[in-house]
Amino acid sequence: MQIWINYLDQIMIYAALALSLNLLLGYAGQVSVAHAAFGAIGGYTMGYYVVNNNTNMVLTIALGAVIAFVVGGLIALVAMRLTVDYLILLTLAWGNVLLGVIGTMPALGATYGILNINIEPHSLKFFGLPLEKPSDWLLPIFIMLVVVYSICWRLGESAFGRVLKGIREDVVATQSLGKNTFHVQILVFAITSALAAVAGAYNAAWLGLSSPAGFGFTFSLTIFAIVIFGGMGNLRGTLIGAFVLTSLDPILRRVVKLEQDKAFLVQIMIYGVLLVVLMALRSQGILPEGRTIRSYLLRKNNDNRAEMVAVKDTVPTFVKRSSEAEVDQTARHLKWDNAEIILEARGLSKSFGGIVAAENLDFVLKKGTITALVGPNGAGKTTVFNLLTGAIRPDAGSVWLRGRDITGLTLDGSARVGLVRSFQDVRLFQRLTCLDNVLFGVQGQTGEKIRSLFITPGAVKRNDSASLDKAMEWLTFVGMQEFAHIPTGSLSYGQTKLISLARVLAAESEVILLDEPASGIDTKWVDSMLDLVLAISEQGRTVCIVEHNLRVVTQLADHAYFMELGRITAEGTVDELTSSPRLAQAYFGTE
Amino acid sequence: MLALSISREIFAQLTANGIFRGASYGLIGAGFALILGVTGRFHFAYGFTYTLAAYLAYTLHFRGTPFGPFSNGFPFIISGIIAVLFVAMIGMGIEKFIYRPIVKRAGATALLAVFVAALGIGISGQSLVALLWGQQSQGFYDQGGIVKKDAWGIWKVTFENLDVFQFLTSTSLIIAFALVLKHTSLGRQLKATRVNPDLATIIGINADRIYLVCFGIGTLFVGVSAFWFGLQYTVSPDMGARPVMTAFVVAFMAGTASSPIRVFLTGIGVALIEQWSSMFIRTQWTQIAVFIILFIYLIAKSMNGTPLSRKIKHVVRLQGIRG
Repeated sequence: MQIWINYLDQIMIYAALALSLNLLLGYAGQVSVAHAAFGAIGGYTMGYYVVNNNTNMVLTIALGAVIAFVVGGLIALVAMRLTVDYLILLTLAWGNVLLGVIGTMPALGATYGILNINIEPHSLKFFGLPLEKPSDWLLPIFIMLVVVYSICWRLGESAFGRVLKGIREDVVATQSLGKNTFHVQILVFAITSALAAVAGAYNAAWLGLSSPAGFGFTFSLTIFAIVIFGGMGNLRGTLIGAFVLTSLDPILRRVVKLEQDKAFLVQIMIYGVLLVVLMALRSQGILPEGRTIRSYLLRKNNDNRAEMVAVKDTVPTFVKRSSEAEVDQTARHLKWDNAEIILEARGLSKSFGGIVAAENLDFVLKKGTITALVGPNGAGKTTVFNLLTGAIRPDAGSVWLRGRDITGLTLDGSARVGLVRSFQDVRLFQRLTCLDNVLFGVQGQTGEKIRSLFITPGAVKRNDSASLDKAMEWLTFVGMQEFAHIPTGSLSYGQTKLISLARVLAAESEVILLDEPASGIDTKWVDSMLDLVLAISEQGRTVCIVEHNLRVVTQLADHAYFMELGRITAEGTVDELTSSPRLAQAYFGTE
Repeated sequence: MLALSISREIFAQLTANGIFRGASYGLIGAGFALILGVTGRFHFAYGFTYTLAAYLAYTLHFRGTPFGPFSNGFPFIISGIIAVLFVAMIGMGIEKFIYRPIVKRAGATALLAVFVAALGIGISGQSLVALLWGQQSQGFYDQGGIVKKDAWGIWKVTFENLDVFQFLTSTSLIIAFALVLKHTSLGRQLKATRVNPDLATIIGINADRIYLVCFGIGTLFVGVSAFWFGLQYTVSPDMGARPVMTAFVVAFMAGTASSPIRVFLTGIGVALIEQWSSMFIRTQWTQIAVFIILFIYLIAKSMNGTPLSRKIKHVVRLQGIRG
């Protein structure tokens, strides 16, 4: 009996490690193939203090978690700037360096590790309870697993988790919606490292041994295989994965009756084959992201996270059709002249190598108006958006929002002060639903802050439902409410443009920068886009638009700047600009 | 101070060791860089093909075919050539029947999916080798006695004749490959595919075929390296782990899109650092020296473009002006 209980202990410890890896790998998309190395920090801290100082086990585990938290945060500083292939290499190197260094330290038992952790005179106790038999371990390990699961679930399935998925899908888009991805990435690395250290410490304590080989690549790989098997981004799947993969050992040894070393090899071989087969047939794992065990058993899609389905391309209809209205030039002049300045660029310059993308740009955006940036391809229009929002730093010049200098702000910082942009290439989070995409836009969500998630869950819940209402409102505004629960990856191009507009609008920022909202979409969609942009402007918000479609620009813009080769060469209403023969030639090219 | 007490002989010996070992790192690294650089597949199963090549050569030479003229084993060199060519085909098979279908399915997350599959092939392959041939290491040598281990020496530096053979094969393979890249149509197609596979397809290059060629050449390199390694030391199921891991480091540090010659020289550089470091630090530490180098390299790489690195570059530039 104790043998089977021992396996149960093992399953729970492996599950805890895999849960923390899933938060990092599945949710945040950060590939780590040395997760067990963080477990080693916990295992060795525990082992060292228990054996040498006979310190209370729980205290040593907490200490290990703190150390791993700091180390994980430092690793994150390096990791966050690397692409996936370099990240894999970094974690490989990290695991090798840490275990290699431990292996040279006599105080930590060198290559043998710290042995006999759980024997007299320093037998382990869990709040006074002795930990001798496998059954003694059930309670402490179970409590640890529940704590780890709760933390991972709270972080993963909340607004914070949504930001993690945003980082996984598209860091720049996430930042453009005001999310501080820098903090979040460091935090998720630090927290998952700390959780791994806790589980690693339990592993070492339960085994009575903490060795470099024990926390080596094979262990990391087992944890990795559990996460992949169970399904990345699904914590319940990880529990199933831990159960199935860890059970292989008793099955091979006690049912198939293989010798221990042979059973081990066969087990690793099965892990490997499983990984290959999964990637070939079901790369999302046994329980894909967003699915519950029940929905799986009932062979039914979860209603809020449908799998990719083909969606028919329907144009939303609007009551108002202002785009057909006659445009009055004098009224536009009057409106522009009387509006107050909200955003001002002074002498913005930027060059890439020898290419001048922006040269000494001076321009203003005015409250409640629509301003257009027009000009031929390569004039530097998108660069202007990048400069305004801090996506790239200007070489010279400054940006002022409501009289405040915002030049040094990052992309997410400028979004938070009220300057939100869309992207020419849309940059939606493809695997997330339309509603989730729009939810990204909603500002001030308390659920994105770890402290409020755990300290004021009630307030977070109220805030979440308010955010949801707001997102739904904006989704309805663009006429896409029926598609709320459909992943954006299955939408048509025109529909993705609408979702991207709704996502920007949900930020309710003072200034909205739209990069080619009507490009590449059908004429029937262009009208709806026009109506939407006019409606936003009528709400008193400031819009700046980059657009090639002259009809769109003529209908919308109160004022336009003409850009050529990084310079603003003319301004006025669109009609004035297009009636100039020189500008027309610059725009359309010579006959 | 420590450095001064080390004699010139030791330094020369370590340098020779570094160059010989580096040639093997460089060859494996160039193969891996070719695969990752052109196809974008993080071919983690590379280490398995290394091990397999050595075991195949070993088995062909000592066991041969179950019947027929080679039932007592193939001649030594022939078994090496068959093993290397066979492994090259295994590499191409992995690309064609495993990676390619996975990439077609995975779309945006292809890199991770291929890595996971490669990891799976790597570990199951290594376990399979251990199950089939046993976990003990096996001695590998020429039964016919034609290729015999021999100690050579120049001045006070000693090495094996096999070191020299290994170095010569590695160098000539690299040079031959560099020439192919530079002067043949295949080479130009390879480079075009590396820069932009979609565009290459448009101008009529069969990217799938080029990918297969990359896997063929890369695995050939790793097989040749494994053959010499097995001969100099022994063959064992985990023999692929260290050299291939080092080759990963070499490939990434040289840049996966750089020329094979550059990767090869980086391999020698890394091996020299590894060897020389033993003059200053304990031998247990030299085992991880290469990872520490990589770690520092990655930290430097991740700092590229941050305010701190700009400041450092600025200071360096100022000093350059003053100097």
